[in-house]
Amino acid sequence: MAAIEWIRFLVGAFFLLCGLAIFVVEMIGVFRFRYVLNRMHAAAMGDTLGIGLSLVGLIIMSGFTFTSLKLFLVIVFLWFSSPASSHLIARLEVTTDEEPEKHYRRVALRDLERELQERAAAGDELGGDAPDARTENESDADKPDAQTVEGVRSVGAAVGKGEA
Amino acid sequence: MGKGISGLEQMYHGLFTVVLIFLAVMVVLCLIRAIIGPRVADRIVSVNMMGTMVMVIIAVLALMLEEGYLADICLIYAMLSFLAVIVLTKVYMGVYLEKKEEEEKENGGD
Repeated sequence: MAAIEWIRFLVGAFFLLCGLAIFVVEMIGVFRFRYVLNRMHAAAMGDTLGIGLSLVGLIIMSGFTFTSLKLFLVIVFLWFSSPASSHLIARLEVTTDEEPEKHYRRVALRDLERELQERAAAGDELGGDAPDARTENESDADKPDAQTVEGVRSVGAAVGKGEA
Repeated sequence: MGKGISGLEQMYHGLFTVVLIFLAVMVVLCLIRAIIGPRVADRIVSVNMMGTMVMVIIAVLALMLEEGYLADICLIYAMLSFLAVIVLTKVYMGVYLEKKEEEEKENGGD
C-alpha cells in the first residue's frame, strides 16, 4: 500500500514539474520574441499544455475525488477559452496597429499561389531536364525571399524617414 | 496528503512549497513583462499568463491545505480571467475605433 502511494506521488510530481518546465519555456518565449503576435504562441502554450500537465499531476495526487473532477473541469474550460482569448487579442493587435509595415507583411494566399506557378513555369522554360529544373527552382527560391526581406526593411526605413 | 506513511507527508509538503515559490517568481516575471510590454496587447497577454499561473497556485493550495472548495475558486478564477480578457479587448478596440472615426470626421470637415 505504501509503495503504491509512493508511486502515485512520484508520477504526480513528474507531471507537475513537467507543467512547470512548460511555464519556463513560455516565459523564455515571451521575453525573447520581438512582437506580440509571436509572443502569443508562447503564451497560448502555457495556457493549454502548461496548466494541463500541472493539473493532471495534481489530479493524480488527489485521487478519485470531487476535487479532481473540478480540476478536470478547469482544464476543459481552458481548452475552450484559450483559443477564443488568443483570437480576440490578435484581432485587437491587428486592428489597433498604426504601423503594420514595420511588424508584419500582409500576403494573400492567391498571390502566393500565382507566384509559385510563375516560378514553376519559368523553371520549365529555363531547364530542359527535370533535375535541372528542380535545382533552378531551389536556387530561385532563395533569392526572392531575400529580396522580400530587403523590401520590407526598406519600407520600414522609408516609413521611419517619413516620420522624421 | 500521504497521511500515515512515514516521510511521504513531508515529501508532499516540500514539493508543494517548492512549486509555490517557483510559481510566485514566475508571476513576478509576468508582471515585469506587463510593465515593459510596449503595446496594449502585450499587457493583456501577460495578464492572461498571470491568471493561468495563479490558477495553478490555487489548485496546489487546494491540495496542500486539503480544502476542496479552493478548486471551485480555481474554476471561477478561470472564468473571471477569460471575461477580463474579453472585456479589455472589446473596450479598447471600441474606444480606438471611435477615436479614429472622430478624427476622420474632423479631417473630412476641414
